[in-house]
Amino acid sequence: MRLTRRDRLVLFAPAAVLLTGWLLLPALLGLFATFTTYTPFGTLVRFSGLQNFAAVLRDREFGAAVRNIAVFTIVAVPLELGIGLALAYLLRRPIRGRGLWRVLLLVPWLVSPIANGVMWHFLFGSATGVIDFVLGWLGRPDVPSPTGNAGLALPVTIAVEVWRIAPFVTFLLLPGLSSIPTERWEDATLNGAPWIRRVLDVALPSLRPLLLAITMLLVGLSLGTFDGVLILTGGGPGTSTVTPALYSYRRAFGVNDWPAGAASAWLIAAGVFGAGLVYIRAVRTRQTA
Amino acid sequence: MSGLQGQRRRDSATRAILLTLALAVALLPLVWTALAAVGLRANNNTTPPSWVGPPTLDHFRDVGIAEPSFWQELATSTLSAACASALTVAASLPAAYGLARSHFRGDRLLTQGFLVLASLPAMAYVIPLSDLMRRAQLVDSFVGVVLTDSAVTAPLAIYVLHGAVSQLSSECEEAAWLDGAGLFRVISQIVVPLAAPSIVATAIIVFVLDWNLLLVPLVLTAGEIKTIPLAMSDFFTFERELEWPTAAAALMISLVPVAVLATVFHGVLDRFALNVPRVD
Repeated sequence: MRLTRRDRLVLFAPAAVLLTGWLLLPALLGLFATFTTYTPFGTLVRFSGLQNFAAVLRDREFGAAVRNIAVFTIVAVPLELGIGLALAYLLRRPIRGRGLWRVLLLVPWLVSPIANGVMWHFLFGSATGVIDFVLGWLGRPDVPSPTGNAGLALPVTIAVEVWRIAPFVTFLLLPGLSSIPTERWEDATLNGAPWIRRVLDVALPSLRPLLLAITMLLVGLSLGTFDGVLILTGGGPGTSTVTPALYSYRRAFGVNDWPAGAASAWLIAAGVFGAGLVYIRAVRTRQTA
Repeated sequence: MSGLQGQRRRDSATRAILLTLALAVALLPLVWTALAAVGLRANNNTTPPSWVGPPTLDHFRDVGIAEPSFWQELATSTLSAACASALTVAASLPAAYGLARSHFRGDRLLTQGFLVLASLPAMAYVIPLSDLMRRAQLVDSFVGVVLTDSAVTAPLAIYVLHGAVSQLSSECEEAAWLDGAGLFRVISQIVVPLAAPSIVATAIIVFVLDWNLLLVPLVLTAGEIKTIPLAMSDFFTFERELEWPTAAAALMISLVPVAVLATVFHGVLDRFALNVPRVD
């Protein structure tokens, strides 16, 4: 028996109300507002065309944010996928205490981005940190925290995020990886395929849709990077780790430039929707081919 | 066959070594933090660096001194994440079921749309949302935070639960429909019991996401409702940098509840999976 129209209405209503009221409606109203001079406490609202977007795109700080997040995404997402896949590959066959291994390896993801920033802030710090502790034992002088170094701040921010997210990728990949029949691995092993070939020829083809879905989530996560940098670097030094989300937040709530905040936030959304189109195309092409 | 067995033995030895190494990288920073929280921290000013002892639980008390409402914030965090997780699952499960069991043009595309929506950073819509919530008198309210948390996590929950329901055979449901059972009975007596592990796993993951969410409470509250991530960001933004052991203790308090939750339910968490539907 099929669901009736009424059934469907009942089933979809709660999620529809929640998502419309608290996600789609604000997003769309925000989009309309960015084409006007609207501010929450202003009284005069006029149509302003693309002025808000033009102002954001002209802003050097936003340019730096876009550059940073591009580097961040291009470096972090493949690393998270690669490390996550490697760990999942190691855990794919039952070993003693696999359940415990899985949960212990997931622990970094349980740390909130903000707590993660606090933790690494201190781990990099000279009086309290692990780096200078090791260097001290080696008889080397202390090094200043890399988060204060314009050249190192972004790589370090990426590394810290990869540390937190790669375990979650493992967690998401493991069900898919363990559902690959054992015979296929053994065939490949018997044929003398080295591990890299086994991964490329056995794992990747069957994991493709899952990997694409995880990549989508990771790209969105990366493009929205906010609390991961808020405390670790605060966007600094200078603009070396500022991200579009941090920029939007500071525009809207820090300097009360609401239109710039809303417009730049919509540029983030546009980036994610762009990635979404690529994702849906990629999931599709596979199946028609 | 001995070649295969030998290969296997070598493989498992390599595997054990690599996994131990990975575990060390994953846990070392947290062990360092846990040690600091109980008063065992490094002193890098001596040569060679030394340890400051003895072990103490005083730093956990210091958290309450540095942030007098910390324990109340812990309660707010727990309660809001629990309510948001429950609401997310309650709203997502029917939608996921409806999506899995009805066929219309573009139904799979819609499902994939939820994954894209799940990837959309909250920053994309919280700025106008904060304005709407102010007008709806929901700023700085528990209800406002819970509803927004739920909206943030619902797309992911719908996607995951859709995957879980799709994998269930619909035979039992068909039989129940034929017996004249209504929609509510089919869901509560057949779908929920069969999908229970996936539902619990989704609720736990959503709880963790809500527990760790900073942006929503940051933008939608003004001091009345405060969660742990918000308190942690305040520790540093008000120009008062906390002592490392106190910060470490606060960090441990924020991590331990979710770590315990994940450990207790590790068997169920296996069922959290992204099942990617075919798009046609």
